[in-house]
Amino acid sequence: MRQFIRYFFCVLMVPLLVSMVFGTAYAQNHNSDLECKRCHSCDNPTEDSPCIHVCPTKASKHFTSEHLLSEAPDTIVLDHIMKQFEPVRFDHKSHAKMSQMNSSCKTCHHYSPKDRIPPCHECHGAEDNPNNLRQPSLKGAYHRQCMSCHREWSHDTKCVVCHLSCEEDAGFVSEADSTDIVGISHPVIAVPTVKIYHTPYKPGPVVTFYHDEHVDLFGFECVDCHIDENCGYCHDLSHPDNLVKTEEEKHAMCINCHQINNCGHCHDHKRKPAFTHASTGFPLNRYHNQLECRSCHPTRKKIGKLDSHCNSCHGGWNQQNFRHSITGLMLDENHIEWDCVDCHPGNAYDKPDCSGCHDDDISMENGLPGEYIIRQ
Amino acid sequence: MNKDRRKFLKMATATVAAATILPSVSEASLEHCEEDFDNAFGVLVDTTVCIGCRNCELACDRQNELTDHPKSYFMDNTVFDSRRRPSVESYTVVNSSFDSSSTDNKSFGKIQCMHCNHPACVSACIVGALTKCKHGVVSYDAWKCIGCRYCMVACPFQIPAYEYKEALKPRVMKCTFCYDLIHNDKKPACVESCPVEALTFGKRGDLIKHAHVKIEAAPNNYYDHVFGENEIGGTSWMYLANKDFINYDLPKLEEEKIPSLTESIQHGIFKSFLPPLALYGFLGLVMHSIRQDKKKEEENDEQS
Repeated sequence: MRQFIRYFFCVLMVPLLVSMVFGTAYAQNHNSDLECKRCHSCDNPTEDSPCIHVCPTKASKHFTSEHLLSEAPDTIVLDHIMKQFEPVRFDHKSHAKMSQMNSSCKTCHHYSPKDRIPPCHECHGAEDNPNNLRQPSLKGAYHRQCMSCHREWSHDTKCVVCHLSCEEDAGFVSEADSTDIVGISHPVIAVPTVKIYHTPYKPGPVVTFYHDEHVDLFGFECVDCHIDENCGYCHDLSHPDNLVKTEEEKHAMCINCHQINNCGHCHDHKRKPAFTHASTGFPLNRYHNQLECRSCHPTRKKIGKLDSHCNSCHGGWNQQNFRHSITGLMLDENHIEWDCVDCHPGNAYDKPDCSGCHDDDISMENGLPGEYIIRQ
Repeated sequence: MNKDRRKFLKMATATVAAATILPSVSEASLEHCEEDFDNAFGVLVDTTVCIGCRNCELACDRQNELTDHPKSYFMDNTVFDSRRRPSVESYTVVNSSFDSSSTDNKSFGKIQCMHCNHPACVSACIVGALTKCKHGVVSYDAWKCIGCRYCMVACPFQIPAYEYKEALKPRVMKCTFCYDLIHNDKKPACVESCPVEALTFGKRGDLIKHAHVKIEAAPNNYYDHVFGENEIGGTSWMYLANKDFINYDLPKLEEEKIPSLTESIQHGIFKSFLPPLALYGFLGLVMHSIRQDKKKEEENDEQS
């Protein structure tokens, strides 16, 4: 009988324990949604030889995550194959800024893992990999990223654009500066404050567009409006038609957010004044004026009209926690006991209704419920 | 008279013997020419990656010592305004796509000898100056060439050029696949020089697989066809391209090998040296009958 129990233990318990131990280890690193082949290159990976792909593959492309511009390095010296080629100083920051108008980091950094963006040379070797024809060598990878984009607008594939000296390039003088390529050859792009458009629309030929308001006040990012504007959009001078927009395209820029049918909202005979909150019918007092737009209008871009009643925002105020003196009127002893709604029925906080208690002839003009003080 | 006849018979026998041996000799010399095209070398040209920098033209020029053009000659982008063909001065040329409506999405592609698996030029060459040999290279031997230029007529890609200006030793000029380089485990000069690695050098079988993987990975970038995989029985140089490039910039060719019709007739007839044997047999019969007639005449004369 004892032998049977021992046998039973061996047959049932040992595999159970083994599977528990390994099962936990497996669960730590594995997600049930993942296919084995996504990470392992062989059919039967073991602990000793897990045969994990060295670099992220096509399958892991979706791991690419967004990174902030502030994380981007300023200038990178590309010198990993400097034995063969002249090192290149690459203004990473400027390119990162420009790529924000396109597909951001992903424009160049494909197949990046979730947590970080590896540099090109981590995956692309200096020599070609005969086992992976799909992956270009480091030289090819750099050139594909740079030249395929640069030639789009410059129509030029000269080496000297990036490589400062190039033996074969005798006769060509480098236009680049050794300290900063893009910074020198590209002027700073001026951000306009206001743009006045003269349109053929007779009832209102002038359209005023406050660029600064949209950026500073309404919190627009460049890419929100400048969609798919790569370098060639401005620089491809052989195709100036690119810059001419159709009527529909022009209107689409505004109508996407301003869902209105009223032409006069934008079109006028003269320059429209800048936005003031008073024009919405809700002038901002000195407290509201200090707030960021998004503290009241949390949705960026499409800013809608809010309920102007105080307790649509200040819903938590009541007679106990509201200091009336903040309005500039300190209530006297008689009035401070009352509930808010006794004087302000129907959530009308701008003017009190005294008739609930007092006779008709008593009003704010001839009998204050306290005294005006200097606002604190 | 008898002596002469004996001499003639000896000569005839020798000629027949030589003619029977010769084909086997030429077959022996072709032995190292691989029929295993998957293991022959090839190049995959990805026209969607090519940026039209013409570095391959420059590298080819320098490698084959074709001209003394300075580098600036190869940086002139106005050449893309017209479509060019390889010439005596350039074994390869880069052309831009036919559809020039958009510069942004313009494709470029280099053209050169495709080093066909079943080359029409080799079949057309009457002196064996062109051979399909080791590594899949279609190589040219100027020493054997008699300048008939049948290869130029036969080539479906219109590649071979001819040195018309050379008065004494004109040659047929075409891409050599940098035979010396690839024989020493190096890449052809153009492949080596391509900055964006639009050209992939490798075993033809691997390249075909690689091409299909590329198409599968980016079906929007490519037209689902590897030009050269099956065209005229397959070529060593193959192309990946978008739809327009395949349709307008590369020739439309059937899958049938070009020499298949002519070679099946020619090789069928000349198999086992049959026509000469038949001819000599026929001549022998004629001679025999004439001899019989002569004998009869002599007998008749003697009788008379």
